Amino acid sequence: MSTDRWRNEWLYGPEPIGSVVPTVESEQADLKPLQWLGIAAIAEATTLLLLVGVAVPLKHLGDWPLAVRVLGPVHGFTFVAYLWLLLRSLGAGLLSRSEAARLAASAFVPVAGYLTARFLTRRVSGRPDRGSAR
Amino acid sequence: MIPIDAYTCLKALHVACALLFVGGVVASSLVLATGREARARVAPVQRRWDRLITVPAMLGVWAFGISLATSGGWFTYGWLQAKLVLVVLLSAVHGLQSGQIRRLTAATDVKPLRAAALVIPSVIAIAILAVLKP
Repeated sequence: MSTDRWRNEWLYGPEPIGSVVPTVESEQADLKPLQWLGIAAIAEATTLLLLVGVAVPLKHLGDWPLAVRVLGPVHGFTFVAYLWLLLRSLGAGLLSRSEAARLAASAFVPVAGYLTARFLTRRVSGRPDRGSAR
Repeated sequence: MIPIDAYTCLKALHVACALLFVGGVVASSLVLATGREARARVAPVQRRWDRLITVPAMLGVWAFGISLATSGGWFTYGWLQAKLVLVVLLSAVHGLQSGQIRRLTAATDVKPLRAAALVIPSVIAIAILAVLKP
């Protein structure tokens, strides 16, 4: 039995020690999806800004379509990753539906992703957020 | 002997990742559909499986899929646009499920998603669209 446990440890994880009552550390760990969401928001906002602010003007004004061909798929990938992380946070109960809708809408507005990241950082660190009071 | 080109390799990796991803989504749906006690026992294993296999597979599906579509110049084709909508739907379902499984591991009960019923029809439609390219 212990050999089976060792063999399957990569999937089961280490044997739980002591009580399963959540600790302060596990409470902190539970906010990890929001930290990842903040990172994805910055990546998504940066690629959108580069796409709209640099690649598209280069294509139409500079007749250089390569930048759009490269940045378009990169932005598509970061957008889907952001959306997935947003829904995971919603499913985990870390965001309300209205907050999730607001954060999803922010993905379509250049620069708004940076504000999203700031909102999420404040949420993770436990500081009050002006927007959440509304 | 048939020469292996980059397109064939990308396609093989895309299909492999898609199989693992769909397997993970179906497994999550099954875990969330089982009884409360069984869910609490299986949720930590499913969460670990998600982190080690399903999420990397989903990222692989997107990365290889976007590379294939870019190399083939297929983004303007209707079949690919329809397929993209379905893959975003599958990713969204998986994101929500992943969050719910996270909640289960923290001993919070969740309601199974109704949208999980769309997984099987979506997978069938994706296979038809990818093979027939109508």
